[in-house]
Amino acid sequence: MKTWTRREFGGLTGAAMLTALTPRKVLGQSKARVVVIGGGAGGATVARYLAAGNSGVDVTLVEPKRRYITCFFSNLYLAGLRSIESLSHGYETLAQRHGITVIHEKAAAIDPVAKTVGLESGAKLPYDRLVLAPGIAFKFGGIDGYNEAAAQVMPHAWNAGPQSELLRRQLESMEDGGVFVLVVPPDPFRCPPAPYERASLIAYYFKQFKPKSKILILDAKDSFKAQDLFEDAWARHYPGMIEWLPAQFTGGVMGVDVKARSVLTAGDTFKAAVANVIPAQTAGELARQAGLADKSGWCPVDPVTFESTLQPGIHLVGDAIIGGDMPKSAFSANSQAKACAFAIAAALTGSEHFAPHLFNSCYTFFAPDDAFSNAINFKPVAGKLKAVDTFLSKLDESPEIRRRAAHQAVGWYAAFTNDLFG
Amino acid sequence: MKMKTAISLLAGLVLVGSQAAAAADTSQGAQLSAMCASCHGLSGGDTGIPAIVGLDEQKIIAAIIAYRASERPNHIMHAIALSFSNEEIASVARYLAAQKTEPQ
Repeated sequence: MKTWTRREFGGLTGAAMLTALTPRKVLGQSKARVVVIGGGAGGATVARYLAAGNSGVDVTLVEPKRRYITCFFSNLYLAGLRSIESLSHGYETLAQRHGITVIHEKAAAIDPVAKTVGLESGAKLPYDRLVLAPGIAFKFGGIDGYNEAAAQVMPHAWNAGPQSELLRRQLESMEDGGVFVLVVPPDPFRCPPAPYERASLIAYYFKQFKPKSKILILDAKDSFKAQDLFEDAWARHYPGMIEWLPAQFTGGVMGVDVKARSVLTAGDTFKAAVANVIPAQTAGELARQAGLADKSGWCPVDPVTFESTLQPGIHLVGDAIIGGDMPKSAFSANSQAKACAFAIAAALTGSEHFAPHLFNSCYTFFAPDDAFSNAINFKPVAGKLKAVDTFLSKLDESPEIRRRAAHQAVGWYAAFTNDLFG
Repeated sequence: MKMKTAISLLAGLVLVGSQAAAAADTSQGAQLSAMCASCHGLSGGDTGIPAIVGLDEQKIIAAIIAYRASERPNHIMHAIALSFSNEEIASVARYLAAQKTEPQ
């Protein structure tokens, strides 16, 4: 991230440069080793900032996939507004430019006593500090009949990639006049505004190509954030197209009939042309397997260092943690990851650690030229992450402000993914 | 020939020095400015969000203070600026002003 300036170079003598080059080798010490498991927004950021921020740390990133497809902006893909390639990022720059060892394998087990990570191949990676950024896993079983096989017919598309492509194909082959049923899970889940953004952007697609089609949202909740903004936008852009049914109205989603492609609530059966069923969520499997999650299914951490409160020496960032007021979002994960990287650098090399600033911001699209933004800063208070200042777009904002937000969102995507993978 | 060797040696040292010093930067300015990189590109160019590296230090301070006071309407920057103390603003501005944009 940092590039060299002439002024700073002039201030260094030859001796200082040589010492700076390999301080630990000069002192006869080996480098401290950090293993990061998970190459999404949280994991990639920890790896990058640890590698860039401290030459005394040897960073290994373990991620089975060779390309990461971002969940953020994948609703634009579903609406036909972005290609899947434009959401796909490789790990080459992290390896080549930042000197991170990237291993494309699945981590199978953690031994916190021996301080090793076992890979599926049987290899063991020793670590001084371990970071887990495992993201979410799905709680199949909450909806009767919905499991991994059912997700091949009624996709969740809540991990971007093949699931998103499946849903897009179904939308494309759907006949005009069909009903798209979107099942929204109970809190907490990844990216709280995303189901409603998805409904908005799929409505945008229908409006152009399948204008007789309808969207039915079956929610596990009775309200959602920024509801007034969404309802206003739906009335303006897609009048009569989107219907939202809260749990208090339907009694909640009980099951699915995969063969009939219908969704069953307490009192009704809703036949879908395309069904998008987003199940309830929990912390990624490895975190739960390693005893890092509590009874809630999510992982408690120290809000300053992001070290597990259940297992010392292991840090967690991103969707898997109990983030207090911080929502489960890529932006939150990136923000937590920077705080975590500087805390680990301080612990391993004695570098200074300053009070972290934690932040979340997001752009949400109603239509390609109509987006809103929100921004929240957070502070650790009594062991929990608390929202301090919260700002959200106003209902009466001008179309120009919304259009500008949509433009900024595209710039944000480029800068943000560069911060993760560039 | 001798001259050429000396030059390439020097070039090598410059490169080595650059990597080592860049790698060791955990100053307050570097840690706080890390959050800017979540939205602001370092390569310049208009992507809807302006590049901020290499700008004049005093201009950066004035801009953040204006965002804090809501004199410039942008709620993302307002929330960021509200979280900074005066000392933190100074340290971010000093750090950003000393950076060069990455080549495109």
